[in-house]
Amino acid sequence: MRKKKTLFQNLLSYITYKEKEPIKEFYIPEINEKESSQDQGNIPDHTNKGHERNRGIIKPVPVAEMRKEKTAGQNQASDNTVSTNIQQNMDYINQKFNAPDNKDIIIRQFTIAKRYKAFIAYLDGMVDRVTINHFILAALMENDDKFTNGDESCQLEFILLNVLQTNQAKKLDTPRDVIYEILSGNTVLYVDGCDYYLVNETKGYDKRGVETPQVEGVVLGSQEAFNETLRTNITLIRKYIKNSNLTTEFIRVGIENQQLCAVLSINGLTNPAIVDEVKRRIKSIKSDAILGDGMLEQFIEDNPFSLVPTMLTTERPDRTASHLLEGKVAILVEGAPFCKIVPISLVSLIHSPEDAFMRWPYGTLLRFVRVFAIAISTLLPGLYVALTKFHQEMVPTDLLIAIAKAKENVPFPTVVEVILMELSFELIREAGIRIPGIIGNTLGIIGALILGQAAVQANIVSPVLIIVVAVTGLGNFAIPNYSLALSVRLARFFFIFLGALLGFYGITIGLALIWVSLFNIKSFGVPYFSPVAPKTSRSADLFIRYPVWNQEYRPDYVNALRKKRQTKISRKWTQQNPENNYDREESDDEGR
Amino acid sequence: MMKEGNFGIREAVYLTILVLITKIFYTSIRVVVKTTGTASWYSTLISCVTSIVLFLLLYTLMKRFPGKDLVQIFDKVTGKIIGKILSLVFVLYFIYYAGSSLREFVEMIKAYNLPYTPPSLILAAFITVIVSLAYVGLEGISRFAVVSFYPIMVGILAILLLAVPYYNFNAIFPIGGYGISKTLSVGLLRSSAYTEVVILAFIINSIHGVKIFKKTGLISLGIAGIIISATILCSLMAFDYPQGGENVSDLFQLARIIYFNRFFQRIESIFLFIWIMASLVTVGATFYISLSIFCKAFNVEQHRPLILPFSFLTFMVALEPKSLTEVTQRNIAFVRTYSIFILYLIPIFVLLLAFILGKKGAETKHAKG
Repeated sequence: MRKKKTLFQNLLSYITYKEKEPIKEFYIPEINEKESSQDQGNIPDHTNKGHERNRGIIKPVPVAEMRKEKTAGQNQASDNTVSTNIQQNMDYINQKFNAPDNKDIIIRQFTIAKRYKAFIAYLDGMVDRVTINHFILAALMENDDKFTNGDESCQLEFILLNVLQTNQAKKLDTPRDVIYEILSGNTVLYVDGCDYYLVNETKGYDKRGVETPQVEGVVLGSQEAFNETLRTNITLIRKYIKNSNLTTEFIRVGIENQQLCAVLSINGLTNPAIVDEVKRRIKSIKSDAILGDGMLEQFIEDNPFSLVPTMLTTERPDRTASHLLEGKVAILVEGAPFCKIVPISLVSLIHSPEDAFMRWPYGTLLRFVRVFAIAISTLLPGLYVALTKFHQEMVPTDLLIAIAKAKENVPFPTVVEVILMELSFELIREAGIRIPGIIGNTLGIIGALILGQAAVQANIVSPVLIIVVAVTGLGNFAIPNYSLALSVRLARFFFIFLGALLGFYGITIGLALIWVSLFNIKSFGVPYFSPVAPKTSRSADLFIRYPVWNQEYRPDYVNALRKKRQTKISRKWTQQNPENNYDREESDDEGR
Repeated sequence: MMKEGNFGIREAVYLTILVLITKIFYTSIRVVVKTTGTASWYSTLISCVTSIVLFLLLYTLMKRFPGKDLVQIFDKVTGKIIGKILSLVFVLYFIYYAGSSLREFVEMIKAYNLPYTPPSLILAAFITVIVSLAYVGLEGISRFAVVSFYPIMVGILAILLLAVPYYNFNAIFPIGGYGISKTLSVGLLRSSAYTEVVILAFIINSIHGVKIFKKTGLISLGIAGIIISATILCSLMAFDYPQGGENVSDLFQLARIIYFNRFFQRIESIFLFIWIMASLVTVGATFYISLSIFCKAFNVEQHRPLILPFSFLTFMVALEPKSLTEVTQRNIAFVRTYSIFILYLIPIFVLLLAFILGKKGAETKHAKG
């Protein structure tokens, strides 16, 4: 009976109307920024000196703290003072890290020598547990016999000198800095009664190893590249420059994410004005988040609207070292496997680290190939359009016939063909980067097949154009700087447009416009076209790479404190006599 | 006072040479060959020497007022009102020069390369570059001159050398042309073709004073004279004087006749490239100079707001003539034959006045020279 009823009810439900239960959907409410900041103004803990922004959330004040607030005002833990009360300090850290909601912050309480209450605080996952377990906790808890004086005053100084077994430990009395140290993966130690913390270096988060360069590959030369860890990157540079004057200065950027940024220069060699300017620009950034060198570049570059990059990006420690030794400044950002070098001129973007490692004829040849590559990849499609559309008379007759024959069955005008092919090529490149690794290589072949063979057979494009586009693409890949290669890709479309509109005239006009724009930009005070325009003193490392022993001066435009990098005769042995020497005489050849 | 920036002697020399020699791409050679026949190649040298003499007189004036440019000297010697009028004459002249050169360029490129393109489009594209050159200012123009100088020189040299098989040395005879008196009179008058060097007197403070001014002027005039003379000589040898006087642009014709084999022939693409570059430098520089003189004369600090009105004026001057014939007959003939009276004789007149009135620049500023 019951079953029947259910069936009936089921059937009934198919033919009767039943109102749907309304579903409540989530939305993000707007929070009036003014009101929330006014509310926050009442809470003293949130007013800091610009390192943390008001986040619009009112944090509950623990009852215990409210009581203390009334009683002992002078010992209050705040952003500027460390309380002498262990509980207050723990509360401060907990509150700063939004514990207990936030499970990452670990505060481990313990007693030293059964007398002194203490705690260590760190972020889970950011630290090396072995160091904490064996060299902080074990050292503190197993060395009761060292604490013999029975003194009740602050013991941190004694602990620092006698007990702790960590390689780096320092005192900190600014809670804001303490928070930053915890965020960086260090462990802070506090002992009751003290008005400062001890910070131990315990960074131990996972990181990638030093691998081979992905973007700036070379044949002859080092095969190391930067990784995402700032410390490792600086070490890699120090490996090349064993000079006590190599100075690393740290600046925190990004109000919310407080990323560490390192400015490297060689004291006594780099012009201090450049270092100051770099630091001034970085310090002045007021933004929530700077996530890497690419973002930092956009915040501090001279000409945000220029087509070309005004800072050199490299992933190679050896290249960074060579620029530092030329008197330039390197900027590294934690979490970015690239280094920015300033100031630069256009020619630095054409150089490859390999040039210096090879004998000069080969280095020079490669440079010319690269200049040729830039010219080809910028102008060739535009020139092809201009030639076929406007200046057929300039093409030798036989070649013209070949081009015309190939184009005979193609229904599109040349410019449409070129844009079609260039866009397809751009698609292959972009897809090639985004596509998952394993099929990535295959895509190139498929793309080439489809675009090349099939498009020609279907009479969509002429075979000559395939050659033009392929050579252009190859030229683009030969440009050693990725950002410059991208700007060349952009410029190419500009030239195709001008070539289609005004032929050679348009292309020359385009070249002039780009030149004029390049003359007007500077990289940290250095004109982009120096040392060509404005003409500064002759450079031995411009297009023709002179032998390394002949490059006596650093680049003129950086105004290094020591302009000379080696003496006029750097190969002293050429002026000395070998130990085993003899004057060749005619009689030497007798009997041969 | 407007800030123009500084540049070195090399930049100044390149810029002046380019402004001086751009006319060889145009109808200038034809006119010289037509008027002086086989004597044209040294007739232009006479012009060059005359120009050097006049330039030295200008140098005397500049030396008398160290640290001052020509506009300030006009004001100082002739008084504020007449000085401003004289400066305005130069402003108008340089705008007229820029506009005429522009029109000559447009007519030629229409005839040779873009017969179906509307001239207004060609003009607009050209003026875009001129405006951006003027926007970046004198430093930008000088750097542009440096970068385009080498390709232009290599291009001219390539055209002249590759046409060697077509040269007939006997074509330069009779060496006397149409007679000494004709050669001399045309030579003296045609020194107007070398008057552009006067622009240096307006930017003297950007090139570090009178000593560099003299050096730059003399080097530029010397090299420009040699280049122009060599081009005329080559054209004469390649085409003989009757035909040389008929070509619209002799250099273009030279580029056109080059034929080595089926694949290496007709290199007018090289010509096209260097010709446009040279024209951009010349028109850009003269356009900027007119702006600069105006700003200096009327104490305008920023030249950028004036770019658009001035470019409109240039556009107007360029569109005013009816045809290429009118451009060459009136504008170019006037500019290259009689500009001497404006560009050299006004400063020389001012120099005489300064002598008579006994006016002199302050000695303290001598250090700047």
